[in-house]
Amino acid sequence: MITRRELLRLGGFTLSVMLMPEGYKILKAGETPKGYAPNLWINLSRDNYLTVFVNKSEMGQGVYTGLPMLVAEELDFPWERVRVRPAPAGRPYVDPKMGIQLTGGSTSVKNMYEILRLAGASMREMLLSSASKKLNLPKEKLRAEGGYILTGERKYAYGEFSELARKEPLPSKPRLKEEREFIYIGKSPPRLDVPEKVEGKAVFGIDAFEEGMLYAVVERPPYFGAKPMKVETGEAKKVPGIVDVFTLSSGVAVCGESFWSCQKGRERLKVEWSESFVKGWEDKDFEKYFRQKLKERGEVVRVKGSPQSSFEKAPFKVEETYIQPYLYHATMEPMSCLAWVKKEECLVYAPTQSQTWVLETAKRISGLPESKIRVITTYLGGGFGRKANVEFVAEALEISKRLGKPVKLIYTREDDLKSGYFRPYSATLIRASADREGNINSLSFKIAVQPLLGGRASVEGVENIPYAIPNLHVERVDVELPVSFWFWRSVGSTHNAFSIERVIDRLAYEAKRDAVDIRLKLLKDNPVAYRVVQTAAEKAGWGSRPKRGEAMGIAYHFSFGSHACHVAEVSLDRKSGKVRVHRVVAVMDVGPLVVHPDLLVSQVESGVIMGLSMALKEEVRFKGGGVENTNFHTYPLLTMSEAPQIEVHILTSNRQMGGVGEPGLPPTAPAVANALLWGYGIKVNRLPMSPEYIKTLT
Amino acid sequence: MLKDFSLRINGRTYKVTAFEEEPLLWVIRERLRLTGTKFGCGMGICGACTVLLEGKAVRSCLLTVRDAVDKPIVTIEGVPSNHPLKRAWIEHQVPQCGYCQPGQLMEAYALLLENPRPTRQQIIERLSSHLCRCGTYGRILMAVEAASRGGKT
Ligand code: FES
Ligand code: FES
Repeated sequence: MITRRELLRLGGFTLSVMLMPEGYKILKAGETPKGYAPNLWINLSRDNYLTVFVNKSEMGQGVYTGLPMLVAEELDFPWERVRVRPAPAGRPYVDPKMGIQLTGGSTSVKNMYEILRLAGASMREMLLSSASKKLNLPKEKLRAEGGYILTGERKYAYGEFSELARKEPLPSKPRLKEEREFIYIGKSPPRLDVPEKVEGKAVFGIDAFEEGMLYAVVERPPYFGAKPMKVETGEAKKVPGIVDVFTLSSGVAVCGESFWSCQKGRERLKVEWSESFVKGWEDKDFEKYFRQKLKERGEVVRVKGSPQSSFEKAPFKVEETYIQPYLYHATMEPMSCLAWVKKEECLVYAPTQSQTWVLETAKRISGLPESKIRVITTYLGGGFGRKANVEFVAEALEISKRLGKPVKLIYTREDDLKSGYFRPYSATLIRASADREGNINSLSFKIAVQPLLGGRASVEGVENIPYAIPNLHVERVDVELPVSFWFWRSVGSTHNAFSIERVIDRLAYEAKRDAVDIRLKLLKDNPVAYRVVQTAAEKAGWGSRPKRGEAMGIAYHFSFGSHACHVAEVSLDRKSGKVRVHRVVAVMDVGPLVVHPDLLVSQVESGVIMGLSMALKEEVRFKGGGVENTNFHTYPLLTMSEAPQIEVHILTSNRQMGGVGEPGLPPTAPAVANALLWGYGIKVNRLPMSPEYIKTLT
Repeated sequence: MLKDFSLRINGRTYKVTAFEEEPLLWVIRERLRLTGTKFGCGMGICGACTVLLEGKAVRSCLLTVRDAVDKPIVTIEGVPSNHPLKRAWIEHQVPQCGYCQPGQLMEAYALLLENPRPTRQQIIERLSSHLCRCGTYGRILMAVEAASRGGKT
């Protein structure tokens, strides 16, 4: 793993990209102005390898491929010779548009697209200039292609000029390729992280080691909002290999020479926990509480027209309350972090989506300045937002500080589920109406939910709804509860897409209108969205019999800058209540171009599977005020036998670039629920659509 | 309670000190540092910890180190890089986060040893006992089918 100092000492030719107040700038290695440090490094070695040090986290979304591609494109460099490494964490490595170093919000490629291309192009120009001098040939006679400088007669590897090129001045305006010249953008070069993942050699957070390392597990409270009050550690300490047992703010740390000692030690702990507001709460208590909250006056975020009177006068109306549960991220790699707080320096290996927050946490706990802290970003065994939270990093740091040794903290699956930071629970009251022709003329939306991003996430996808609904009311009630909550892939859109897309179909059903028509009508002034819905209907064969299921449902949603529409083919076994999804056609418009089509396809496949898992199976349940689910038998995920055939179609349009990692998820659940409405007359108003729940509706 | 054991992994013999009832998974991963074998649930549900024991796919989180003494074990690191399954996994760009993949691949490896030409249904049945949060199921299925056709896609 590379350090900043090692970066400076790399041989060959290194450029860096740095964020300055006036925007980003490309710099030669070692020419950093005082007080600044680069965001990202690109090195061309003498033996002609290109290494890109990426300031984003690879959690499966393909950023370790998507970003280096942009550099290799403009440099015109052979893909087999491109390497990728994580950039060290530091204030300098922030995302220029987010202001922090964070991987989330489906933004990575979007925000770095231009910087990285310019960097590659600069490198190429500098190589050409230096080759021209060395070979004594005019620059116009030379071409830079496929990793070689071509003179017409001979070819020289770029690497041969690497030392000379770094002496060249930076071009002020390097020429960028035209779209038709692209060799990688819009194509799908193989992912750079795949070979080591197939070999079992990729290092995730849980795979980190340091010599002399200890292990730790943390016993957590049985209900939210509690702290350890009294701990009996005597028995635990008798387990061979146990080094120490002590309390943290989040629980009781058991530390030992092996993971298994820790596990045995924790079995013998006796802990008394403090009281909490939610102690004793069951599922029904949450539902009661949220329904009650919906009756309170909230903050009105948006009003357009007169939703109240249009609703009252309308011939068709629907009023529904939707209940959506807390959801668990279920990253296959549970939270894990290796920290080492020494007197003079601090080292952290973390599978983190947020290097900046890790760094701040490390500064706070170690008391050391940033220059003494080294954060190593490992691969993430799934992120989905969860690993942007740093509570597990803080715990590892606290434990290591106390012991003065490197410590690997591992969450068991049970710990991981218990620790919370869930997609928040929500209750949504929706009133919507349609006129005589069945055109939707009012929508009033009120949600009670724990607020993320100061409440912005609560109304995500509704406040900015692309449907032209003349009378609109959007309101949120912020709920306060000790259950920890956090970003979950596609955030507020996970629940709001469901509410909106459900109510549209409910109205269409009442007014006997076609679900596609009714949407197209609302989108007639939004040509991009219009085409997405139209294409999905077409590709799915809307209006004809489903290919494999018995019923079809559609849903559309705009999130993270991308438009997505899914059609699901569904069948239901009325006796068992089991819903089966056979086929999902997913159409997405991501803006002007697709950097890597296969990454996009795999992200949409992933979104559909996760969306379906959430739609059919997932729900955090409560008992005694804590999480009742303990492991995958009680929090089941979708399996291969339940996975539908997925067809992905990509559209482009001339507008701002949209995100890829998240927008493929929100439409899945409502598309399935809508199919149940049209095919079976079943009115789903809560998730998940488990057999037990569906049976209550048939 | 800590004892010495000898394990045969990927054709090599390892000496290791562990608790008698310590799950084989933690011994392989943390004590021997063969970290390709993953921890996902510790309950036999997710399949991330799958290895071959005497040619059969087993969940190493459910076995103790004692159960495995002197029996040949194969982990993901012991499957040759040019094996049709590894090649198919790359060809079909299966992994996303990659965390579940060693377990998935080892299950497929065991399946093909038992039945070199499984039907699609047999593959689905077998691999449905493995979880992938990234939703790579479709690609896993394609890769196993491709590998069972001898690497030809
Ligand atoms: S860790 Fe063994 S099956 Fe999940
Ligand atoms: S690839 Fe991420 S869990 Fe399977």
